[in-house]
Amino acid sequence: MDAVTKETEAAKPFTFKEFGDALVEFFSSLKLAIFLMIVLAILSTVGTVIQQGERPDVYVKEYGETVYWWFVKLGFIDIYHTWYFSSVLVLLCINSLTCFHQRFPAIWRSIRQDKVNVTAQFIQNLKRSATVHLPSDPGTVTEGLALAFAERGYRVLVNKGDAETTLYATKGIMGRVAAHVAHLSVTIIVIGGILGNVIGFRDFGVCLEGETYHIPQGNFDLHVDKFWIDYYDNGAVKSYNSTLTVIENGESKLTKTITVNDPLVYKGIWFYQSSYGDSWDRVEKARVVVREKATDKVVGEAILDWKKEAVLKDLGLKLQLTDFVADFGFDAKDRRVYSKTVEHENPAIKLAITEREQTLTAPWVFYNYPDLFEIQGSKYKFELTGYLAKKFTGLQIAKDPGVLIVWLGSTLLVVGVTLSAAIYHRRVWAKVVSGQQGATVYVGGTAYKGQIDFDREFDRLTERLKAQGGQPT
Amino acid sequence: MLRSLFLFDVTFWLYLAAMGLYFGYLLASRKALQPAMAGHPSASSEDDGWAQPLGQLATWVTFFGLLVNGLALGTRAYERMQISGTFAPWSNQFEAMAYVSFAIIAGYLLLELKYGIKAIGAFVVSIGFIAMGAASLLPYRYQVAEPLVPALNSYWIYIHVSITLTSYAAFAMAGGLGVMYLLKERAERQGRQGTIFDTFPSLEKIDELGYKAVMVGFPLLAFGTILGAMWANYAWGGYWSWDPKETWALIVWLIYGAYIHARMNRGWEGHRAAIYQIFGFLMVIFCFWGVNFLLSGLHAYA
Ligand code: HEM
Repeated sequence: MDAVTKETEAAKPFTFKEFGDALVEFFSSLKLAIFLMIVLAILSTVGTVIQQGERPDVYVKEYGETVYWWFVKLGFIDIYHTWYFSSVLVLLCINSLTCFHQRFPAIWRSIRQDKVNVTAQFIQNLKRSATVHLPSDPGTVTEGLALAFAERGYRVLVNKGDAETTLYATKGIMGRVAAHVAHLSVTIIVIGGILGNVIGFRDFGVCLEGETYHIPQGNFDLHVDKFWIDYYDNGAVKSYNSTLTVIENGESKLTKTITVNDPLVYKGIWFYQSSYGDSWDRVEKARVVVREKATDKVVGEAILDWKKEAVLKDLGLKLQLTDFVADFGFDAKDRRVYSKTVEHENPAIKLAITEREQTLTAPWVFYNYPDLFEIQGSKYKFELTGYLAKKFTGLQIAKDPGVLIVWLGSTLLVVGVTLSAAIYHRRVWAKVVSGQQGATVYVGGTAYKGQIDFDREFDRLTERLKAQGGQPT
Repeated sequence: MLRSLFLFDVTFWLYLAAMGLYFGYLLASRKALQPAMAGHPSASSEDDGWAQPLGQLATWVTFFGLLVNGLALGTRAYERMQISGTFAPWSNQFEAMAYVSFAIIAGYLLLELKYGIKAIGAFVVSIGFIAMGAASLLPYRYQVAEPLVPALNSYWIYIHVSITLTSYAAFAMAGGLGVMYLLKERAERQGRQGTIFDTFPSLEKIDELGYKAVMVGFPLLAFGTILGAMWANYAWGGYWSWDPKETWALIVWLIYGAYIHARMNRGWEGHRAAIYQIFGFLMVIFCFWGVNFLLSGLHAYA
């Protein structure tokens, strides 16, 4: 298992082949594997202790300027994408592939092994060994042994000689094959990951009900039919749901309601329900209270639907809600109103007012500042007393062609690791030497791991062997 | 809700009793050993007196505790079904810990059944008890079953969480065995005899069992983490986002990966392996507890 490095004589110049061998030796060494795993664990720990991908001021506030400067230099704020992190991963792949190349052929050969030839000396030097003298016929003893091994699931090879018979029994080599399957799988997973990074993409989209969005990567359109939230009885959120329709060449192809754990997949592009929020440039409804300027008394109230005209007959008013901003901002250069942020900090609506068939200049009405503007030529004051925000659905849009390869590698990894943990490789040799009063049996074996179980098995075997002969000598 | 909380409470007391009985068993076995040391080997089998029945009782109490623990989890599953239509009784920190103690105790009983070594019980049942005890120390609002938040409301929770937690239980077992190894090793080095450590299995055996426990946990954690990645691929839009919890699962897995490979070089058995098993278990505890309470991330819903 542990590679033995051959000391090259110091005087000799280093040949190319030797250099190559040394390189292979280095890259297939267990020490390197252990080192890389520990390094990877430490780097990952750094990444979980220091928050990743935050805005600079977050770090500066927590750690100070100097430390932040070092973090940036060392890549600690995005450690999983640094060159050194990737290098360690790649080295681990090279390491396990070289290990496979160095060690697997021998394991493969041993599966197909069909000859057995060892000395009694070799058997006696094994970790577990016993010597038993039996008064029985050597042929019977050999058969008994072979049977005992076969019953325990060993594959038995027998080499019959004139004076002595050698027996080799082995099982569980598949456990070691499985370990090497695990080694290959690591590289498969990494390849899948790289592929996803290179030819996949990930986007985030804020989508409104009733709108259609073009998805250039798939050359089709996505229509958001509906977005809503389900609640439990106690008011906690049960699920976020969006009904989406895929439209291609003007035709509806597919409609699906997605929830947090149930994305829509079309042409390899995945649409995930990832967040939601209140829209910042439109509302569902708004409630407007009308006061008479002269008396400051409330004379009417209207619930306005988005861009629909409402008529207040008694007051001779027609109102329409034409615009909304969540956080009022005014761009003096373009003379344009916009929302400074997506937060509902300073909401305002724009009202189109027709008073006794006369259209007035459309004013902005503020939720927080009811008396900000006076509307010229009107008997009334308008107050925004509430509104129902329009929800948007946040969709994550992603395509990752590497993911299937990752699943393939993962499956091999789990199968390989499980089998290698469950199947223990064992080898037992026995030599039956015929003597004057029967036979002498040298039996010995090794377990690659799982020594206790093997010890028990070996003890039972020798017990049985002794019992077989009647009286042990 | 009260029904399952009551059963969890009963479990706690039963595990406490079981732990006491196992320690009682250790002490009684030591007493039984002393005359033997003094050179009256024949007396030992009669003087054995207390050890035998205490050991029996300990096993039965543990088994009964396991049943109640299972019943409590089952009841909690039923209650969850009533309020939210999902049943996984490992959906918050409290339930997860109650499940881990179930897995540890179940694993221990299997071990005892297979190898018949009762001395291990004092250590491993203690860990199961501590897990249950720490769970009951959580504030009440963590103990009750709230409906699942949308991200968790999925069939993946059944399999991903239970498998990951089972791997933690296996690593807990390895950690307990590591402690046992070090204690016995020290007693042997000091040449003390007639102590409770004589009733422990041999050092090689403890070492080997610890390795086996890791070899149960290692594939389970691999499987659990990969299931988590598959779930993330459905829920978060990517199978790996370096969220602290999943990163810690990877860290723990790498730590045990290094252990497995280090054992192939002979030097890493026995003493060093025992220390490493304890270190690994501390990392598991951090992954299980620390991450939820100290680091922020997508998994921080506990
Ligand atoms: C990175 C992920 C790796 C995983 C998941 C992994 C997994 C495993 C597993 C599960 C075993 C079986 C252990 C046992 O039976 O006790 C094993 C054995 C082994 N591993 Fe790895 N390994 C990895 C990397 C490496 C690397 C980089 C090397 C390079 C030297 C290596 C060298 C070995 C050797 C030599 C064995 C013994 C194989 C045999 O049975 O002959 N491993 N590995």
